[in-house]
Amino acid sequence: MTRVLLIGSPNSGKSLLFNRLTGLSQKVANFPGITVDVASGKLQGLRDVDLVDFPGTYSLKAISAEEKVAVAQFEKALEDVEVEHVLCVIDATRLEKSLFFTLQVIRECERHGKPVTVLANMIDVLEANDLSIDLLALEAAIYTRVLPISARSGKGLAEISEQISATRLKETPLQRPHLTDTPDELLRGTAHQLAQRLGPRGDVLVRTQNRLDGFFLHSLTGGVAFFGIMYLLFQSIFTWSTPAMDAIESSLAWIADAIVPLIGNSIIRDFTADALFSGIGAFLVFVPQIFVLTFVIGLLEDSGYMARATLICHKPLRFFGLTGKSFVPMLSGVACAIPGIYAARAVDSPRKRLLTYVAIPLMPCSARLPVYALLIAAFIPADTFLGGLIGWQGLAMFGIYFFGMLTALIVTGLLSRVRKEQFDDLPFVLELPPYRLPGVKPLLRNAFNRAKHFVLKAGKIIFVVTLVVWVLGYFPNYGADLGQSWLGTLGRIIEPLFAPLGLDWRYGVAILTSFLAREVFVGTLGTIFGIEGAEENMVPLVEQIQSSDLTVASGLALLVFFAIALQCVSTLAVLAKEGRSSSLPLKMFAAYFVLAYAASFAVYQVASLLSL
Amino acid sequence: METKATPDSLQTLWSLRRGEHCAIVGYDDLLAEAYKVRMMEFGFYPGEAVSCLQSPGFGAPKVYRVNNTIYSLDDEIADHILVEPFTA
Repeated sequence: MTRVLLIGSPNSGKSLLFNRLTGLSQKVANFPGITVDVASGKLQGLRDVDLVDFPGTYSLKAISAEEKVAVAQFEKALEDVEVEHVLCVIDATRLEKSLFFTLQVIRECERHGKPVTVLANMIDVLEANDLSIDLLALEAAIYTRVLPISARSGKGLAEISEQISATRLKETPLQRPHLTDTPDELLRGTAHQLAQRLGPRGDVLVRTQNRLDGFFLHSLTGGVAFFGIMYLLFQSIFTWSTPAMDAIESSLAWIADAIVPLIGNSIIRDFTADALFSGIGAFLVFVPQIFVLTFVIGLLEDSGYMARATLICHKPLRFFGLTGKSFVPMLSGVACAIPGIYAARAVDSPRKRLLTYVAIPLMPCSARLPVYALLIAAFIPADTFLGGLIGWQGLAMFGIYFFGMLTALIVTGLLSRVRKEQFDDLPFVLELPPYRLPGVKPLLRNAFNRAKHFVLKAGKIIFVVTLVVWVLGYFPNYGADLGQSWLGTLGRIIEPLFAPLGLDWRYGVAILTSFLAREVFVGTLGTIFGIEGAEENMVPLVEQIQSSDLTVASGLALLVFFAIALQCVSTLAVLAKEGRSSSLPLKMFAAYFVLAYAASFAVYQVASLLSL
Repeated sequence: METKATPDSLQTLWSLRRGEHCAIVGYDDLLAEAYKVRMMEFGFYPGEAVSCLQSPGFGAPKVYRVNNTIYSLDDEIADHILVEPFTA
């Protein structure tokens, strides 16, 4: 088994080419820097060859830590004796963008004695616009074979494996080493001259792109288009995913109803019903949201619009240490933090991606809604004014949503101003790709892969934590009374922690179980207060809470606590996987717990002073 | 016919308005060396012609064309690129 390396600058169509050459479904997007991991697959036509897709980079002279890793990985791979060939993809429509990098790659391959072939992608776009590049002259100038291809149409792809085979058999003239000792400065000048001399003439592509940009970046039309498209994106997560989420929940319930009664042993029966099915359901229910959001974001990226949306919201977010690329992940976080964290892959600056991760869990996700609804119904008067147009409860809901978003921006704004030098940053230079019609099939495959990644990677962690909480809540009295379980005991142990907020052990237990998912808070309180189906009908539970000794001040403190605390094992699991750090979610969990506690304590004190 | 402006009319790329053209003169000393190199890799060489294609409102990053590639730059970068505007 040998390997062929595929490398290219961002937005050169490399990932789509990788998919076409391997039949795999690496993420394909019309947006710079989308490849984060090194992917590999069997090269079609040469089944004894693994094609390895390297992250897109503009230069082998890296300026960020992440680029340095990618470049180091590439240079290490060149030393591998199993690597027999390097394929360097360039965008034929924008030769000047790719040639310097190509010459750097050729130089490194010459130094390591590896043959390299340049793939001039998007040749179909040139032909469709009666443009061309002088391929023969380019080959002669760089002493390297240049194949015209189109990853989108498939043109010229068969010649790639033929070229690799021919190189193996020495049937093709070996490239003449000529750049081995050439410094970057000279390569840059050579690339510039070659692009000027041999690149496509005419600006038909730029003119078309600029007309559309005139609409999408206009202060009025661009703003309307932006809000319309983002509204659709938001709807896709909230509304379009709901039928599939409901179907998953009801299917699991149906299977559980069929299987559970057949189990004789009561512990195994309870385990199957409450831990196994609840544990699987806890993460499977997120799959439709991840699938739909990944598909819609893919549509926006492939069409070229995402880069424009990034540009539009860059300025206001920059003030808070973020970038325009943080907007979509944060907006997604309003529905659910998990797809939002996945969407943050598009943030190329490591520093700003980290800050985006920090912001997302503070966005008011849909799992907070049942908690807010319960607490607002219990503690905020239902009075309305202005002829019934405005009510206190509506204002409270708006206020707590706004509070979450504002807190996210304040936290990232402060963090970005503290010890700035510790972060790894990239300047905001965004290549605006041409507008294109997206291909649906690769987008569907990518959405499927992202959902599969979530189930296989984060699902394990979520499942294990669910089991632990079940064991704590079930023993030693076999699920008879949650209050007498180990979890109940734990609730009493931590009671002094929540006592300064006016909360007793029952709310401590509910906060503990809500670590599985925030909405579990409602169900747990229902169980403790002896109310069946509190998630579906909150009224009896609201009445129970109102008649208990819990004050309005404590209710407000709980609202603020849930707006800030990172009470979600699924989010923490995805943060660990996507952030490639087990300490990041732990630090964020601890930091947000302290912040949530401090803020709710302050709210409790102020509200108590006001005799609420 | 376009003629180049005199050297005393040097300005930054950020000051270019929509539809205006310029030639890059260089970079000021405040921009980190690594960023200068990266900008040149993108095609922003001294002497290269650049057009401002879009200048969205509210201080959003502007859109520039260099050769056949279109980039969006914010003021943190574009304010450090020294240019000589083309005058009609």
